[in-house]
Amino acid sequence: MASIIDFTDICKTFKVPLRTKGKFSMFKNFFIRKYKTIEALKNITFKVNEGDIVGYIGPNGAGKSTTIKIMSGILTPTSGNCVINGYVPWKNRREFVKNIGVVFGQRSQLWWDVPIMDSFELLRDIYKIPKDEFDKTLKLLNDALNLETLLNRPLRQLSLGQKMKCELAGSLLHHPKILFLDEPTIGLDAITKLAVRDFIKFINKKWKTTIILTTHDMNDIEALTNKIILIGKGQILYQGSFEKIKENYASSKTITVEFAKDYDNIALDGYEITNHEKRFATLKNLPSKQFHPKEFINEISKNYEIIDFQVTSLSVDEILAKLYKQYEIIER
Amino acid sequence: MNKSYLGIFKMEFKGELQYRNKAISGIFTQFFWGLLQIYLYVAFLNDTPVNGFSISQMATYIWLGQAFFAMRFITMPKRTGDNIVNGNVSYNFVRPLDLYNNWFCENLGQKIAATLLRFPLIIVIALFLPGNLKMYAPVNITALLLTILGIILGICLSVAISMFAVYLTFKTLSQKGSATIVATISGLLGGIVIPLPLMPQSLQNVINYLPFRFISDLPFRIYIGNIGITEGLIFLGIGIAWLIVLIIIGKLLIKSALKNTVIQGG
Repeated sequence: MASIIDFTDICKTFKVPLRTKGKFSMFKNFFIRKYKTIEALKNITFKVNEGDIVGYIGPNGAGKSTTIKIMSGILTPTSGNCVINGYVPWKNRREFVKNIGVVFGQRSQLWWDVPIMDSFELLRDIYKIPKDEFDKTLKLLNDALNLETLLNRPLRQLSLGQKMKCELAGSLLHHPKILFLDEPTIGLDAITKLAVRDFIKFINKKWKTTIILTTHDMNDIEALTNKIILIGKGQILYQGSFEKIKENYASSKTITVEFAKDYDNIALDGYEITNHEKRFATLKNLPSKQFHPKEFINEISKNYEIIDFQVTSLSVDEILAKLYKQYEIIER
Repeated sequence: MNKSYLGIFKMEFKGELQYRNKAISGIFTQFFWGLLQIYLYVAFLNDTPVNGFSISQMATYIWLGQAFFAMRFITMPKRTGDNIVNGNVSYNFVRPLDLYNNWFCENLGQKIAATLLRFPLIIVIALFLPGNLKMYAPVNITALLLTILGIILGICLSVAISMFAVYLTFKTLSQKGSATIVATISGLLGGIVIPLPLMPQSLQNVINYLPFRFISDLPFRIYIGNIGITEGLIFLGIGIAWLIVLIIIGKLLIKSALKNTVIQGG
């Protein structure tokens, strides 16, 4: 399959004024300003195929939004090459943006004090969408997102979830080839989150839209993406399937055990005791130790009398936290 | 005009029409400010013309100024300023539009709507006021037509000048400060603070050729007959030339500002 996004060696540096501490520093800073350069992105290289849903993840401040802004033509990188859908985003901005849709989860693209439908009609004029095509698309989005009752109300009267549905619809009216979603599920309740996820999948299937998604919600990643790119401190640390990462961590288990009576001290070969309180204890297998339920029962029953136990694998959030720790990319 | 820019114009026009109370309070302010100014000048000038500018001409000039205050006073639509300061301008970038034209149309829509809402009532009342306060009819029908042309040019000039405030907002991230600086300079040199005919002649020789006086001073003085038809036509030509120059400079400035723009935060 042809790649639709081709990012090669993109770097972006920002110059920020340094603030010194101490007496009169505000006054001094007013006249003498020192700058330091921050490398927001360092040699970012990746490819995205047509029709993919790519999850772009990393801790806060890793450079996710900066990448999205470069991809959507808002920022010019300091160096490097990028071809998206045959265009260099920041060079032929006006031509390029006709084929992309963007949703910034924390901002709004619709007009605040007019009915949603007026905003949509203005977008129709801006993108020069033919009338019949617009009606067809709107009907499709309407059915998929249940917008019917919202279209006549101004944006300011809508809840966050309703707003996000309208924002999504607004970004898709012109039938873009690529959709950039910057934290689309931020602040949404469970039901709306599921609806938004279903909708993203639906559009991807129906239109073969390539979707780039940043999020902190790992369930989004699990439910939607077929490829992830992990970024930290401005560098790509991993790209590939999320399943692979999960496999790497699949062997670590957490076992909660209930004993028949109180034990003063608990110890078991190959396991680390992370918590022990009266008749309950939490154990984790060490990396060298493979967990087998039968073997585990045999070993622990030798010295202790147990009533019940429960095994849990790492949640996706925990896996990610481990990954961040492993790569030391958490901001301090 | 391109359909997309017309759409932006209409959106801002409709938005402004919603704010009825804003228009009503504007009319009240303008009305009392007009009365105050006229009484002030009557008290000082005591019926003697200054620089060939009679009291009745002055009253008419002041009323026109109050009626078209929304047009002659430099403002920036709230949306434009807000978007630049809070970073929503991201969405302006991802539209297939020229950003200068986009903001120009936004501002034009707002200015025209605000002007249309305010001027008829003030003019109608002012035409029927007694004594020194009365606003007079135009000297002749040609002057009136030329005045209308001049006001249309004035609105465009006012918007073109306000684009410098948009540029400053990019640089300073303060929409109020930027608009105030541009509005103060334009107000002083455009006759909002003191009617230009009352300024010293030497100063007038310079101010008369700066772009600011073409916003409102020119059409108002054509209306009261202080500037003749031929002279008025020549000045209108200069005004149009200024409009073209200002748009070109504005476009270049906005382009350079956009190049260095950094959108902060997630």
